[in-house]
Amino acid sequence: MVATFMPLILSPVVYFLGKRKGINITTWLTFGTLAISTVLVIIPSIGLSSGGSYQEVFDWSQLGHFGLKLDGLSIPFAITIYLLSTIIVIYSKPYMVRKILLQYEQLKSSSNLTMNDAESELYSNKDGKSFSSLVLSTDQKSYLNSQLGLYYSLYLVFAMGMLGTVLATKLFEFYVFFELMLVPSFFLIAFFGYGNKKRTSLMFFFWAHVGAVILLLGLMAMGFLTGGFDYDTVRANASQIPQAWIAVIVAALVIGFGVKLAAFLVHVWLPDTYTDAPTPISVLISSAMTGIGAYGLIRIWIELLSGPGNYTDYSIYITIWGVATMIYGGAMALMQKDIKRVLAYSSISSMGYLLFGIGSESVLGLSGAIFMYVTHALGKGLLFMMAGSVILQTGTRNMDKLGGLGGKMPYTAVFAMIGGLTIIGVPITSGFMSEWVLFNGALQDAVVNWSAVKAVSFALAITTTILTSAYILWMYKRIFYGITPETLKNVRDSSKYVLVTMGILASLTLVLGLYPDLFYKPIIGYVESLYPDSDVLIPVKIAPGTGQVNEEPTNTTKASNVAFPGGTEYQRTYLLAKSHVDHPITF
Amino acid sequence: MVEVLGFEGIGVNAWLIWMTPFIGAAFIPILRKKSEKIKGYVAVAFSVISAFLALSILPLGLSNGEIHSQIPWFSALDIDAGVLADPLAIIMSNLVAWISVAIFVYSVSYMHGQKSLIRYWFFMLFFIGSMQLIVLSDNLLMVFFGWEGVGLASYALIGFWYTDRKKDYVGKEGHTAWGIPQWTSPTHAGIKAFLLNRAGDVMMLSGMFMIFMYSGTFGFRELLADQTWAHVMMQQNLLVPAAVLIFGGAIGKSAQFPLNEWLLEAMTGPTSVSALIHAATMVKAGVFLVARIGPLFFALSVFNMNQFFEIVTWVGAITALLLATQAIVNPEIKKVLAYSTGSQIGYMMMALGIAGLSTNFVDGYTAGFFHLISHALFKASLFMAAGAILHTVHSRFMNDMGGLKKNMRKTYIFFLLASLSLASAPLITLGFWSKDAIFASILESNYEFSSYVFLIAVTVAIMTAFYTFRMVGLVFFGKPSQNVVNIENKGHRIREVDKMMWLPFAALAIASIGFGVVGFAFEGQLHHVFSTYLASYFGIIEGGVVPLGATEAVQSSPELAESGAATAEGSKQDALELNPLAVVSSVAAFGVGGFLGYLFYIKRIGDPEKISDNVVSKALWKFLYNRWYLNSVLYWIGVVIPLAAYRRINKYFENILMYGINPSVQQSMVMMSKVAKVVQTGNVQTYLYVFAAGIIIITMMLLS
Repeated sequence: MVATFMPLILSPVVYFLGKRKGINITTWLTFGTLAISTVLVIIPSIGLSSGGSYQEVFDWSQLGHFGLKLDGLSIPFAITIYLLSTIIVIYSKPYMVRKILLQYEQLKSSSNLTMNDAESELYSNKDGKSFSSLVLSTDQKSYLNSQLGLYYSLYLVFAMGMLGTVLATKLFEFYVFFELMLVPSFFLIAFFGYGNKKRTSLMFFFWAHVGAVILLLGLMAMGFLTGGFDYDTVRANASQIPQAWIAVIVAALVIGFGVKLAAFLVHVWLPDTYTDAPTPISVLISSAMTGIGAYGLIRIWIELLSGPGNYTDYSIYITIWGVATMIYGGAMALMQKDIKRVLAYSSISSMGYLLFGIGSESVLGLSGAIFMYVTHALGKGLLFMMAGSVILQTGTRNMDKLGGLGGKMPYTAVFAMIGGLTIIGVPITSGFMSEWVLFNGALQDAVVNWSAVKAVSFALAITTTILTSAYILWMYKRIFYGITPETLKNVRDSSKYVLVTMGILASLTLVLGLYPDLFYKPIIGYVESLYPDSDVLIPVKIAPGTGQVNEEPTNTTKASNVAFPGGTEYQRTYLLAKSHVDHPITF
Repeated sequence: MVEVLGFEGIGVNAWLIWMTPFIGAAFIPILRKKSEKIKGYVAVAFSVISAFLALSILPLGLSNGEIHSQIPWFSALDIDAGVLADPLAIIMSNLVAWISVAIFVYSVSYMHGQKSLIRYWFFMLFFIGSMQLIVLSDNLLMVFFGWEGVGLASYALIGFWYTDRKKDYVGKEGHTAWGIPQWTSPTHAGIKAFLLNRAGDVMMLSGMFMIFMYSGTFGFRELLADQTWAHVMMQQNLLVPAAVLIFGGAIGKSAQFPLNEWLLEAMTGPTSVSALIHAATMVKAGVFLVARIGPLFFALSVFNMNQFFEIVTWVGAITALLLATQAIVNPEIKKVLAYSTGSQIGYMMMALGIAGLSTNFVDGYTAGFFHLISHALFKASLFMAAGAILHTVHSRFMNDMGGLKKNMRKTYIFFLLASLSLASAPLITLGFWSKDAIFASILESNYEFSSYVFLIAVTVAIMTAFYTFRMVGLVFFGKPSQNVVNIENKGHRIREVDKMMWLPFAALAIASIGFGVVGFAFEGQLHHVFSTYLASYFGIIEGGVVPLGATEAVQSSPELAESGAATAEGSKQDALELNPLAVVSSVAAFGVGGFLGYLFYIKRIGDPEKISDNVVSKALWKFLYNRWYLNSVLYWIGVVIPLAAYRRINKYFENILMYGINPSVQQSMVMMSKVAKVVQTGNVQTYLYVFAAGIIIITMMLLS
């Protein structure tokens, strides 16, 4: 509770304090607020590491009560969102100070030109000093203070909206938070963005809102047909929804969340938004916000509408859609020259991974997709931070003008490499831990259902990881390798604010890669509880060592070419029957 | 059979062998401000510690003991981390560790004066750690950790000179085939290596997943202990595909056909890197993987795994031939060595594959692994010597060398010794014995096409001898080239490299010959170790397999164990009888290839260019020089065509259609507002009419 609403309540305080006292206090106050909130989220999560849930319920005037709930699904999302928000506060400081001062210059020269290049020329840090050490005029100072105050107050609301979405326990509440995270992000882009920021932010708002309205229709239908907006009520009465409505609701949910995920064909809002948003906000939107679509799909579709039929019927389309998104995003990422655009398309591709996992109909696939959210947040976060760091130091994000920065910005390069490897899915980073579980689940699905489409999808999807490596490494090559252009001879590495925050994310991805249990325990616990008695989800593994299995090998010791009498039976017990009855999961 | 479980006693060492280099890698960046020497020595110290740890478990391995210790790791899926140091792993681990030490010492001098040494040492140590992890881990998942770790280190070190200076390229500038440039910058080569390896890894992962699905474990021992999974997979016809997919990973890592193209470009890295990663150790990881899983699949031979072993054999045979032919025409010393590496690894694969196709698994298995050992020794030595030459003449092309025999006496001698081993000079070199063992195992197998395989093997042996002598002749004999003369004119005398550099490759070259002299006994010993190992752990004995689950019985009942040991002894006796045909053909191959090479390039009796000045041989030369056009095909299919397609999609679909959505929505809104404007005339009468009409329509609809 406190964790959710403290940022909202303190948001205006931050604004006014910022106006009066200056940038340092705002930054640290925001940081403190979010840090405390993060701790408040983490503490109950620790107790839940082996399953179960933690819920707080409050009365809410006429509309009844509302609750906040942490369980295996929301823990990874909630922790990622707040942790990232907290860290990005610090990262924001140097970046936004630079950005705001730049806008001030523009205001003064009243040149409302909104061209990227004209703007970025001003950026270049020729003297190599950091802006915070410059002496500012009073005008500049007050402008900076109020703008940064505004930035941080919007920032707090944004973070709070995202957290609320994943903790909500009612459809209605979910929707309110879902829109609540949209509004501040709209203003953040409109006020602090690049390029044609007003147009971009409107477009962003328009798309997100259309998606949300379609979603709302689905949610309302669900609520009315089940007789309540509580998750519990909906889940209990899901079977009452008429079959004809199920298709409509699922379509509404999938499209609504698909827009948020920027899946193939509804992705067009994303590249411009990511490119034009100020980099810290790009980090948050990309890493934390878009993935909430995946959360919604799992929570509201797979969990709440858990009636027989609907998930298994439609999962194959989700799989195909996911693969299409993966390949399309990756292919387009190869075509870009702008660092942030590469990352934007890469985000689309990564969201394809999430969709692919969600369509996999297996415990491992779903768990992998959820973990993928965390992984993607860390990896893509790092890469966007790298982009920000490069923009700060060189003033450009056009890769044709960059090159050979590896020696000039060693720390940025190292952290970016770790981020890139996380996205590619190379071991020791958490990327591998999510990817293999996800793909393993997808393959199980293909084999157990003996579905050719799914098998082909699996092959395409796992091959796409090569495409992913290609665009990441090629981007890396164009920024950090090769000959340094004359204009960038004096570039130095970014300030500590930037590097330390990147370092924290980098170490987090390494820790999770080595010790994935931290998140996987609650996640798998949750996913397994989704369909406890039905045969929709494929169990974690088809473990031998139960019942008749152990008896068999003793028979076979007699002769080398012994025929296996019980053969066909194994097939039935171990593969075709998906129920847990015969072989309980062994952990 | 001694078994050590858990952490007690020597069990810790097995963990520390691979952990120490990682600790070292983490430690190196702290020395940022320290001098170059200190960084080098600290790194060497870490590799030496790791090597001594490996040595400490060697006696255990030779007495057929094993260390198997596990700790819980990924408890959500019941996966344990563990090390499994059985005789195979222990021998391999020692090989890796000690060759690393030699190359580290060499590096200290070779990399003298280079920038970014922190990065260099970090990745070198990271590499050893990952490699030892591949060797020592007890499950496929951890193997994959090491697998990607070595891939990453390889990527980083191939592109070590990331500024892409022209002198760090490989290939002749301007050389294109079918429109694809055949010369490459370091960073490009790094990406190429990474992606082609990735293609292999994707296959390997798919194979691993399949097995995991059916067995619920990645552990080698667990897979062997309960083989129900194999049975179920067999019924689904998935066992062989899964095995072949895992082998796909080995194809990528060991640069076998069709993923062979990256290894040649990998020569853009520093020569010490080429010696360690792209000759002696990492490219052997694929062979090691096959050696790791091969017995497992052979133990499942009830399920008829022949297809798997056939594929291994033929991939090896094709690669051996493919790369040997290309090595003959290449002008760059490092690339000749790289081609040769790929070709020799083909031999190893061939041997491991043929092992699975014969009743006597041990023979082929030993031959393959024996060749791995001998190749690691002489090829690392050759690469380091090549590095010394490059260091001196500042050119990678062999026609910029020539006549170096006089001034680089020591390099010459040791290069020659290692070359003799590569060309497999009879009786005194390790290369001879290992190649002979491979020939013998091919001949003795009962594979129906073994005669073809044998033919390829002999052809490749002739070529090997030929290109080896060509290389030695071009570099050390004849007149000094223009380049060498220029260097001397500038006042730099061509001199021997310093002690730190020549000692390591001298040591390895001498080891190669020293073991070679007693090669026969060495082979017998190895054969003995492996036959007991395979018998006691996998139930593989001469003439077949003790069926599933009987391994326990072999160990528990003294009677069976004794008979197992007896057959092991027996097969050892068998191996000591040389196969006459194998010896004769091996000697003949050396004689023919070596003699031709000697005539043309050392004696320089005829000018090869004049002899080959006719249409046929020119076309052949061009075909080989353009790498059978495989590289071009790879680029066209893998890079050029997809990129063109993506460009089209980006231009027409994304930028016009998708991005057209926004303006079209905008336009339609404008249109709507116009429509609204027309409708809202402000005339009350119109409104009333429309209102009335609406009511009438609705009423009619309700009534009907």
